[in-house]
Amino acid sequence: MRLKNHKSDFIDQSEALSFIFNNKSYKGYKGDTLASALIANDVLFFARSFKYGRKRGLMGSGVEEPNALVSLEIGGRYTPNLKATEVMLYDGLSAVSSSNPNSIDFRALIKPLHRFMPAGFYYKTFIKQKVWAMVEDSLRSIAGFSKAPTEKDEDVYDHIFHHTEVLVVGGGVAGITAALEVLNNSKTTRVILVDERAHLGGELFNEFQSDDTAISWHHDNLSKLLEFKNVANSRLKIFSRSTAYAWYDHNYIEVLQTNATGESLISGVTQAARKVLHKIRAKEVILATGAHERPMLFETNDLANIMLSQSVRRYLNEFGVISGKDVVLYGNNDSIYSTAIDIKNNAINCKVIDIRPSGGESETVLKAKKLGIEVLQGYAVLKAHGTNLVKGIEISSVEMQGKKWRLTGPSKRLNCDLLASSGGFNPVVHLDCHCGAKTFFDEDSQAFLPQKVRKNRQVCGSISAIGFWKDVVIDAKNKAQLILLSLGEIKKSTQDSMSKNYLDYYNASQFFVPIEILNRPKVFIDMQNDVTTLDVALAIREGYRSIEHIKRYTAMGFGTDQGKTGNINGIAVAAQFLDVPLSEVGTTTFRPAYTGVDFGAMAGREVGGFFDPQRYTTIHDSHLESGAEFEVVGQWYRPWYYPKSGEDIHQAVNRECLAVRTSLGMMDASTLGKIDVQGKDSREFLSRVYTNAWMKLAPGSCRYGLMCNEKGMIIDDGVSTCINDNHFIMTTTTGGAASVYSALEMWLQTEWSDLDVHLSSVTDQFATVAVVGPNARNLMKVLCHDIDFERDNFKFMQWRPGTVCGVQARVMRISFSGELAYEINIEANYGRYIWDEVALAGKPWNITPYGTESMHVLRAEKGYIIVGQDTDGSMTPMDVNMKWILAKDKPFSYIGRRSFSISALNSDDRFQLVGLLTKDAHVVLPEGSHIINNKGGSIGYVTSSYFSPILRRSIAMAQLKGGLSKMTEIVLVKIVQEKQGLKEIPCEVSSSVFYDIEGEKVDGNE
Amino acid sequence: MFLIVCPYCKESRDQNEFSPAGEAFIARPQNPEELSDDEWSDYVFYRTNHKGDHWEQWVHTNGCRKYFLVKRSTISHEILEVAAFGEVTSENPS
Repeated sequence: MRLKNHKSDFIDQSEALSFIFNNKSYKGYKGDTLASALIANDVLFFARSFKYGRKRGLMGSGVEEPNALVSLEIGGRYTPNLKATEVMLYDGLSAVSSSNPNSIDFRALIKPLHRFMPAGFYYKTFIKQKVWAMVEDSLRSIAGFSKAPTEKDEDVYDHIFHHTEVLVVGGGVAGITAALEVLNNSKTTRVILVDERAHLGGELFNEFQSDDTAISWHHDNLSKLLEFKNVANSRLKIFSRSTAYAWYDHNYIEVLQTNATGESLISGVTQAARKVLHKIRAKEVILATGAHERPMLFETNDLANIMLSQSVRRYLNEFGVISGKDVVLYGNNDSIYSTAIDIKNNAINCKVIDIRPSGGESETVLKAKKLGIEVLQGYAVLKAHGTNLVKGIEISSVEMQGKKWRLTGPSKRLNCDLLASSGGFNPVVHLDCHCGAKTFFDEDSQAFLPQKVRKNRQVCGSISAIGFWKDVVIDAKNKAQLILLSLGEIKKSTQDSMSKNYLDYYNASQFFVPIEILNRPKVFIDMQNDVTTLDVALAIREGYRSIEHIKRYTAMGFGTDQGKTGNINGIAVAAQFLDVPLSEVGTTTFRPAYTGVDFGAMAGREVGGFFDPQRYTTIHDSHLESGAEFEVVGQWYRPWYYPKSGEDIHQAVNRECLAVRTSLGMMDASTLGKIDVQGKDSREFLSRVYTNAWMKLAPGSCRYGLMCNEKGMIIDDGVSTCINDNHFIMTTTTGGAASVYSALEMWLQTEWSDLDVHLSSVTDQFATVAVVGPNARNLMKVLCHDIDFERDNFKFMQWRPGTVCGVQARVMRISFSGELAYEINIEANYGRYIWDEVALAGKPWNITPYGTESMHVLRAEKGYIIVGQDTDGSMTPMDVNMKWILAKDKPFSYIGRRSFSISALNSDDRFQLVGLLTKDAHVVLPEGSHIINNKGGSIGYVTSSYFSPILRRSIAMAQLKGGLSKMTEIVLVKIVQEKQGLKEIPCEVSSSVFYDIEGEKVDGNE
Repeated sequence: MFLIVCPYCKESRDQNEFSPAGEAFIARPQNPEELSDDEWSDYVFYRTNHKGDHWEQWVHTNGCRKYFLVKRSTISHEILEVAAFGEVTSENPS
């Protein structure tokens, strides 16, 4: 309900907003979160729990909320698993629970069985019994949080980079003070202040009701901040509703800012980014991240309306809402009294149950008693009563005996409709630990505190267990002084001392509870993952000792919770069952992300066409006009095949291949990697990086080379052209260009700096048109008149400079199909022009453009390998039957050579490249199919497989164990055939050269 | 995500611009053919995987494309020194 006479700075009661939650309409006000608006409307159930399907209500009021997960909107704006406590209300908002608490739920129906479903249940029942595959789908469909989105995200997300001297994380009292102290004491230091809430101030608003100095402090300091912000070239940036969720090396911090949720964008500027990911590099970081309250533990502590004390206080003070009329506060520290005082001042009935014995009370406690609040000291809550919603509690007197709590009296029952508990505070150390910093357990504050000293980082405020806000101001100033000192902005830092009882709020007595309580069922530690104290006990009984293992076995601290509310209690429970001090158990490892981050925000603008660069050759438009289908090869869009109307890929490839074999084809070969190699040691360099000889290659000639790495494995191949003695052009595979270039540079720069060799990548500088087929020479004679194309004057593996259609060109006679072929290299800008001229002049021979698919068929017919398809990084030249390319007498031991003599690379049962001919010529083996032995095990696999139009049969290349000595043997290849299922296809092992075995075609018809 | 000062560009740049290129000061043997299989594998495969201050090679892939030396703590990831090849470094074995 919403309090009638409550005055709030955040709620604008003049502006009512309507919204829908779980298909029902409600009204809230501007300034509400979805959670506070629902409390105002007396909606208390938010979701069902993950494992048992229990109805759950709110526990917290911010990022720590484990239960109230909702999904917002539908379609392209659907966003799953947001916390209702963090969603700002807007008009027309529509949300549903991640798991509807009002519908019938299978998990809840089997309630009597829940006690048979402890930690490890799914593993023991299904996976160990090997029936997981049968039940997985149905189990997954009833478990889990919100459904995954199915439509394309309509919104845009931005990334913004920032550099700053100081980053302050957290905009409470500590953060505000630290930021101001830095700004005030320096003229140049830039400051970024990020805060996850909508308003700077953190928990200070809770003090407004009882402390007027808090109001004036907040007002004064906020206006000072704004003075720094609202000037030209401001040194201060403030990001609200922004969560620093990850801290990476070298002070690189990622912050997610929420501009709008769901459809609220529509009412604003539609093109604005819904969320912005700020990527911040900071010289110094001040962590003022505060602390999360942890709940007290007792039986059925997960009923709705059992909340955290500070959250109840925040809902009351900031939003003027409360979800009960008869409130019990329960805890082990003074914060419950502060909450009680605020509740009482709003004329709501409340009682305090303090586990600590009476005596030595602080001012706050005395103030509460003076107000007439009923206080029971030395009592613990054993159990909450009620079905789904809390109706009452069972309490019993307790006593500290030695270092352990014991129940001392009979239990009695109290009625209440809202129970707010506080088991102390957990400093938010997550971010500090992302780069490996450790926490330590501090006995005074009963908390895990951040590592004391870290380079370029200070912590201040309640993250270091400082409770009272005026002490926080002093602490933050002190820490900011240290930051200024580290930046060299001041010569000497001033350090003021804090009040004596600065640990107030943290004076939690030991936060263990009597073990009798922990041994009860349904004492939930982690609400989000339904982990109970008995799950931890079971894990320990089964032998788990490390908290990291206990966490994984029970799933404690998983999901969006990431150890915010549940983990520290879990550690305490484990310590109690193991009977060791907390410090010995330690914490689990904190890793990014601190809280949920939208995939959209991670991707930013790098979606769709911006996901990966797209490279086009200068001939691309012509391919588009010809109706080519494309395939992407190392970012290049290469024509795959050129279908004529009504043709499918098989018909098109069939036509293209036959044209090349019988008359004339043309192909855009511009994408091949090209590296310009210059310098007087170029020959020596090629000799070192290729396996074959290069010293005698004459200008005007080309040579095929195979490149290996030092392990002796093939990494690339291609033809290099000798322009003159000091100048070569190396070609690489299309996909390998960048890595080959980088590897070559490494050798030159790190090992062979004495060689006079310079490399330039010239892939984009040249366009290449390949003219292929028996009529290629006839066409070239038409296109170019200053080169002598006669067979004996321009031989295979030679090149000539000349003029093609008026354009200066290098014409190479090289072939990747076995046919007579010329590659015309021209300056890239002439690509389209030459392509069109070639197409026109080739008409008499029915010149046919062909794509990569036909190129693959044609090269496979000749047994030419494709590095990366027929080899996989574990193949030597011997394995692909290319021993002939290994020079024996080169003086320099070229890259990879020494490895060829290692015994393992010469064993007979290595995978070796062979051809496969299916007995049934029409069966085309799927690439990747396994060759099997008589026991059904794999002895190899198919790397390339096509139907050869010229041979009218299927051909394949395969890696087969010891294949080179298995020629003409019959092997079986296991394939899946449509409608017929698994089949074993008999194939004959053959040479991988299938067509023109003598190599007669390469000179053409004459 | 490191910040690395390229010794050629003399600028502190984001790790995105660079690629790691393995442990530094592993020289290619002058006479591979005379080495035993063990000695050769030592050069090809074995690295110290040192915990602590470690010299390694990096390349300014999306910058000047130069390879250079980086001394980095593999514990804190702090970069302690950068050097061009041939520059004298604090622990250059040559």
